[in-house]
Amino acid sequence: MNRFLKITGYTIRDQMRHKSFFVLLGLSILFVMMIRGCYNGQYVVNGRQLNNVMVAWHVSKIVFQIIASGMFLIVILLSMKIFSRDHEDGSQVLFLSRPVFRWQYILGRITGTWLLSLIFMFILHATIFLTAWIKTGAIIPGYLTASLVCSINLLFIVVSVCFLSLFLPDFISAVFTVGGLFIGYISDGGYQILHSGIFKTSMPSVPASSPAMWRILYPKVYMVQAYADSIISQSSFNSMGPVHPILNVAFYIILITTLMLVTFDRKEI
Amino acid sequence: MRNMIVLNVVTKRFNTLTAVDNITCRVEKGEFFALLGPNGAGKTTVVRMLLGFIKPTSGSITIDGIPVSNPQARKQVGYLAENHMIPPYLSGHEYLRRHAALIGSTGKDALMEVDRVLEVVSMKGREKEKSAAYSKGMKQRTGLAAALLGQPKLLILDEPVTGLDPLGIRDVRNILENLRDQGVTVFLNSHFLSEVEKTCRTLAIMNNGRILVKDSIRSIIEDDETLEDVFIKYTE
Repeated sequence: MNRFLKITGYTIRDQMRHKSFFVLLGLSILFVMMIRGCYNGQYVVNGRQLNNVMVAWHVSKIVFQIIASGMFLIVILLSMKIFSRDHEDGSQVLFLSRPVFRWQYILGRITGTWLLSLIFMFILHATIFLTAWIKTGAIIPGYLTASLVCSINLLFIVVSVCFLSLFLPDFISAVFTVGGLFIGYISDGGYQILHSGIFKTSMPSVPASSPAMWRILYPKVYMVQAYADSIISQSSFNSMGPVHPILNVAFYIILITTLMLVTFDRKEI
Repeated sequence: MRNMIVLNVVTKRFNTLTAVDNITCRVEKGEFFALLGPNGAGKTTVVRMLLGFIKPTSGSITIDGIPVSNPQARKQVGYLAENHMIPPYLSGHEYLRRHAALIGSTGKDALMEVDRVLEVVSMKGREKEKSAAYSKGMKQRTGLAAALLGQPKLLILDEPVTGLDPLGIRDVRNILENLRDQGVTVFLNSHFLSEVEKTCRTLAIMNNGRILVKDSIRSIIEDDETLEDVFIKYTE
């Protein structure tokens, strides 16, 4: 356990040493700084001035989703080279020539990358939360809780990319992961739209059909974000299927991590 | 238990290639053992199996009575790889501290131990530089320093003098001779026959995945022969 924690700590430090990390951090800060301007404006629609608090709330909600989705790309970039880089620069030999179990190495690398991404995302969300608070004086309840809920998606992406990178070139494993996420977004996003109040009101004649089994079983990354959105909105959440999306994603994380541990245990260093 | 390393009827196949073919070998505690053989003989495969990097297709391997599949077998093992690699973003000092931490040495003890091994391999003064700036020989010395951390009972050295200049080779020989005198078990995989002849007491010659001979150097080399003659006799 002690060595697992040490490898987790080394992973956070190692990831932060790469130039790409600071480039991504810089771009993210730039994005947040640009958004800041949205909270200062006076918005008028049909001659009526909009309530600043409401505008800030809507902007914060949109930015929340942009950050949560943008983090997918950052996490993919951070995760895709973990094993190949460790193999090339001698880190694997460093760890595995010592009394370190392979599961300690794998889980340490994954946990470190996930924690770093989680902190990264939380800082960005917290910045938006604080900006909205300072500019409007209103606190958006559940905003930071929703950020933590979305962090499970980051863990799912880390394990998916790492697992695929054991078989495929780094870039291809990243593309496959993006493709998998895209399918989920289309499937779950479509479901959310079809079951939204606006859609039902505007097209009452369209009958509600139950989704195909594969759509119910598919990793519910989008649905976790929709659930996080419902926490911010304090509205009801319309889940697809009987299993809560957090449990669905947690199941896939456990499954993929188990497969990764089995695969890596057989891998020749 | 007298044996430090036991390879018991070990075979390793890579698809259709049999890299190691039914070898049985014992290295006693305190023994200074060299594994010789031409390129492709299977020596590095043996080393990788000893460290648990690859699993044998059949047979068993133990270090100090512990199967190598159990990481605890590596608790008292120092390893130096051929063409030793150090993550380029780490300094030699950071690299050694990581090794020290992984074997359970932390705080002041770790710093003192790192200083000690840096002194032994003559890397004092360069340890704060990033390893990306190290020459091949400096990386090899740092790797040897890592292998010496924690005063291991067993040292596994895969071509330890690769990339070293004559002074470096002499330094490594002196270090190995000191270790031999301290009773540390050394498993040496090397092409440098002159170094093996000077430092080792027992050797095995491997070819085509099999151990052709294993005995003390004195028994293997006859009066009018050199180790090179013996090597050529067995491997040609």
